[in-house]
Amino acid sequence: MSESAVVYTGGCQCGAVRFRAGGLGRATMCHCRMCQKAFGSIGALLVTVHDLTWTRGQPAHYRSSSKVRRGFCSACGTPLTFEDGGVEIAMGAFDNPSAIRPTEQLATESKISWADSLPNLPERSPERKADAAAKQAVIQTLQHPDHDTDAWPRR
Amino acid sequence: MSAAAVWTGGCQCGAVRYRLKSAPTNPHICHCRMCQKAVGNYFAALARVPLTDIEWTRGTLAIFASSSAVERGFCAACGTPLTYRFLPPGDRINITLGSLDDPNAVPPIRQYGLESQMPFFAHLHESPGSITDNEIAPDVMAKLKSRQHPDHDTQNWPAGEVGQ
Repeated sequence: MSESAVVYTGGCQCGAVRFRAGGLGRATMCHCRMCQKAFGSIGALLVTVHDLTWTRGQPAHYRSSSKVRRGFCSACGTPLTFEDGGVEIAMGAFDNPSAIRPTEQLATESKISWADSLPNLPERSPERKADAAAKQAVIQTLQHPDHDTDAWPRR
Repeated sequence: MSAAAVWTGGCQCGAVRYRLKSAPTNPHICHCRMCQKAVGNYFAALARVPLTDIEWTRGTLAIFASSSAVERGFCAACGTPLTYRFLPPGDRINITLGSLDDPNAVPPIRQYGLESQMPFFAHLHESPGSITDNEIAPDVMAKLKSRQHPDHDTQNWPAGEVGQ
């Protein structure tokens, strides 16, 4: 990654909150019970950001402990930040999360028993997938696209 | 799972709590880009119950209609992603596995949306791991006060505001 040219953009699902980061630091998978419940999942994938700008809207915050507040979109709920002095952003909220490589796992003492076996899970049958794709084809998405927009929602 | 199992859960702050009257079925993870962005993660972890089998024991969901066919529920006070629901005539609702008080009891059996799977997903468990004690000094940890709702139903919440 070149030092100057790379910017990292992202935001919540509905697009009410958008951000831009000038650089990234440590990228981690945290298994602690607080991250599990905050994200409704096996934990949180978070990356430290530098030169962060909120380019549309602002996250709402919940103070999850005496040390930490967590940002989210009040309009759609997407978990966005973990803030304990510095700011970490939820990896899935980036427009291109595949550009960020998580390199550490944290709080492994709280890891959910089935977390490590997820990659081995089977897919749905081809028939079920085809059926789902046919239903999907007529659905109109209301998700913000994975890039900045001049105006949103689109009219 | 024992016969006496109850499935309760809720958001991080405890403003929204639920109880399931039947075992959640088809636990799965979904890698689709909509689930990723909705939950700010690599995938959504979900399991379903009939709409008639979920009881909201505290508070109410905030809703975002992420498409013409789907509503996603979350807590307006803390943001925790809680539900995924196909609009009527669908008669089922999915709850997020991490919002369950005991997510260990509901292991996923399937994965959806593999075409959107993140390249590092399959390698997450290979990264070097550390425990909380390595990250936060025990004396700092001892002073840290969690405000998260406990992993069981409570009579009153927040506890501090009712003199507990």
